[in-house]
Amino acid sequence: MVNAQLPITTPPKYNFPLPSMHAENLQLPKQFVELSLRSLKKLENTQQMSKRNSENSSLINENSKIDFPRLIRLKPNQTSTPVMAIDVSSIKIGETETGLLLAIRGAIIWKHANRYQYLRIGPFPFHIYEENKNLISSILRNHSQLAQFQDFTIPNSFYIQSRLTAIFERWIQTSINQITNNSLILFDGSLASGSFEHSLESITQMLRTARSNQNIILAFSKMTRLVFRGQRLTDLILKHPPPCLLKMANYFTNTRLTHFFGSVYVAKLSGANYAFRLDIDNAIPEIKAIEAVKKLLGNDLILQSYPETLRLAHIYSTFTAAEVLGIQRWISQEADLRIITKPNLRRLLFGRFGKGPEG
Amino acid sequence: MRLYKKEGSTIQIISFPSERVNKGDYLVIADSSTGKGIIVQVVEIQYANIPGFLEELLRSCNDDYSIQGEDVDPFEMSNHIRYIQDAHLLICKIRAVYSNKGPVFASSLLPSRSRAKIKKISTERLFAQKKPNIKYLANLGETTEKNQLEVDIRALDGSLNIITGKKGTGKSHISKLLTLSLVSQGAPVVILDLNSEYTGLGQDSDGKPNRFHKQIHILTPGHNLKVTLKQLKLGVMTSILVNALNLPGTSAREFRRIWRFLEQNGNLTMQDLGSAIKSWKCNQHVRDALFSRYYTILGSGLFTDDPMQAISLEDSLKKSRVGGAVVIDLRDTSTIDRLIVVEYVLGKIVELLSRWKLKAIFLFAEEAHLYLRETYWDDIVTRMRHFGVFTTFITNQPDTIRENIYRQADNLFLFNFTNEHDLETISRASKVDAETIKSIAHDLPLHHCVVLGNIVNDFPIVVKVRKLDVYAKGHTRLFFSSKTNFREVIQQ
Repeated sequence: MVNAQLPITTPPKYNFPLPSMHAENLQLPKQFVELSLRSLKKLENTQQMSKRNSENSSLINENSKIDFPRLIRLKPNQTSTPVMAIDVSSIKIGETETGLLLAIRGAIIWKHANRYQYLRIGPFPFHIYEENKNLISSILRNHSQLAQFQDFTIPNSFYIQSRLTAIFERWIQTSINQITNNSLILFDGSLASGSFEHSLESITQMLRTARSNQNIILAFSKMTRLVFRGQRLTDLILKHPPPCLLKMANYFTNTRLTHFFGSVYVAKLSGANYAFRLDIDNAIPEIKAIEAVKKLLGNDLILQSYPETLRLAHIYSTFTAAEVLGIQRWISQEADLRIITKPNLRRLLFGRFGKGPEG
Repeated sequence: MRLYKKEGSTIQIISFPSERVNKGDYLVIADSSTGKGIIVQVVEIQYANIPGFLEELLRSCNDDYSIQGEDVDPFEMSNHIRYIQDAHLLICKIRAVYSNKGPVFASSLLPSRSRAKIKKISTERLFAQKKPNIKYLANLGETTEKNQLEVDIRALDGSLNIITGKKGTGKSHISKLLTLSLVSQGAPVVILDLNSEYTGLGQDSDGKPNRFHKQIHILTPGHNLKVTLKQLKLGVMTSILVNALNLPGTSAREFRRIWRFLEQNGNLTMQDLGSAIKSWKCNQHVRDALFSRYYTILGSGLFTDDPMQAISLEDSLKKSRVGGAVVIDLRDTSTIDRLIVVEYVLGKIVELLSRWKLKAIFLFAEEAHLYLRETYWDDIVTRMRHFGVFTTFITNQPDTIRENIYRQADNLFLFNFTNEHDLETISRASKVDAETIKSIAHDLPLHHCVVLGNIVNDFPIVVKVRKLDVYAKGHTRLFFSSKTNFREVIQQ
């Protein structure tokens, strides 16, 4: 179990609003910090890094048997309900002679007494190179309960970034779920398992905790490629006046590798012509799920159809250029690692036409 | 500090919060590979253009809706991030290039960006190559790095100097400081004192006589500055009539005749002059013109027929030959009388210098536009300079001094100015670039001035002018001042 392995002791529950929510209530995952520190130790031998193309699992599933989307009109519910949002960002800080430097940071935003508050965790620097890849992978595997997947292979250095990010994000999500109740918790992404980042057990456990604590998780996807009869899901709702939802019943079917925990909705929550995919725990009754969206409308600021808390969580976790410079300085001064600038072969070969990633 | 950019004579340097650098400080950029370096002066300090800083500000903007929170930073990276965010960009001007042979005023060297070491350099080290003679040292005050700025006062010799700055910034103070420094080095000084500010030079702050007491001679026109016509030369009198009182040429010619006539008869008195004009055979208009000038001169109180009342300016100046200051107190003198007095004093000085009765003289002229005729400006910087009149102009209205004066000024003592127009005027001084003047003068605190020119070896130095233990006179009379007891003043 992911949550059991994360060194989190459950603090006493208290109801949100969270004026007293402080860092001490969230114990940092020691292994995460240790992993970060261990990764920054210098290597003596350099080895060639192997690169693998990142696998991108597609969620596109156009099922001809799915029900026609059902429009649900919404009315804001002003009942005071805490709203929280979680987002995690990672960034490539640079390259060393032996590997890759990353930084990860998470942000939790909540609204209390009409004011937004934040808790930021990080940045955590990581040095990923050939020799410590195995170690990191094994730690990640333990955390992610990946033993159940037989096709697991050691990920390449670049792919580890997204996996570390996901592990950290899931840890924050789980921790918040444990210390709050009767709250709306907003995630960035979907409620599906199957990839390394989102294991079945970890999501099941998290949703179970949420239900027992009377929390409702609303997962917003900014990017979705889901289509219905050749039309993008998010385009279907645009002609309807906001706020409204489109319920996509029976849209997904679970497979051996992928499990969908959420009922899929398309949400258009404000006047602007934006719509997002919204996943809500399918184990809770629909009426309760819709009520949760209404409470979100009544308790959070919605701009461009997107909740402000989630937008702020993204903004607060994102790294600015100055922060990257600061982290680079920390790495060179405190970790004694030399950041090198590798030539951009695309640029060298194709000049102005050499667009795309370096290498 | 890291070298970032060089454009012409401007160098840009990135500095970090731990490196405390002030505007006006000197830095040395040493390139060990060539053994050469550049001496630059910081003329502007800006925020370094850190990418993404706008996003940083927007994220943490402080208004009523600001978002509050906490950061869990187990690796304590925030200090490093702040270090980057608070980086400064120093805009510097190249003052000299140095090598083993010493400093050279050039800007052609391009030091290595990767190897150049940048550090602060004190004014002491700056002047190390050209040390002033200890005998002629004058302490001007404290530099930004808290060192005493001691300059060679001989740099004022043969120089044209300007002291300018906003009202109340300390112009008269440095002027007094320079005066006393010159006096203590045995130099003669004449001060045209518009507001009786220099009359306390011979007293300490408690009003008691100080060590300069016997060297300060205060002359008040109409009181202890009175002359007989016999003491005057015809040329000086004609100058007064023509330049100060605008006497036309024809009338001036008649006046010369009258003067010579009286001189030949030994009757060169004011009374006889009046009688002579009255009885002189000439055109009525000429007579009227001469009469009107005669009465103006009579009313000035500067002239007397009683030799006992007369004081010889020549004697006062001669006393100052071994160090002394003659203060011409013009406070209670009307505009016309002021012109007459200044014309007389300058005429007398030139006369004494041309006869080698005096070696040279340092003239301090406050707000000279109020008493100096148009043609005198050029005269002072060209002809009179050759006679040995070394002038220091003191003004809070820089546009009252002509552009050519700025161009020829050898030393400039510049106090704070905020007005762009004023700064533009001063920036015409040839001793330094306009950017330095505009940038440094704009931010100078009270009693701080930037010294430019020969006196500081052409290295502009910001100095906090040291305090003087002299009796401060010439204070502005205030209505709401609690110190002023008008009843007492009236009784006195």
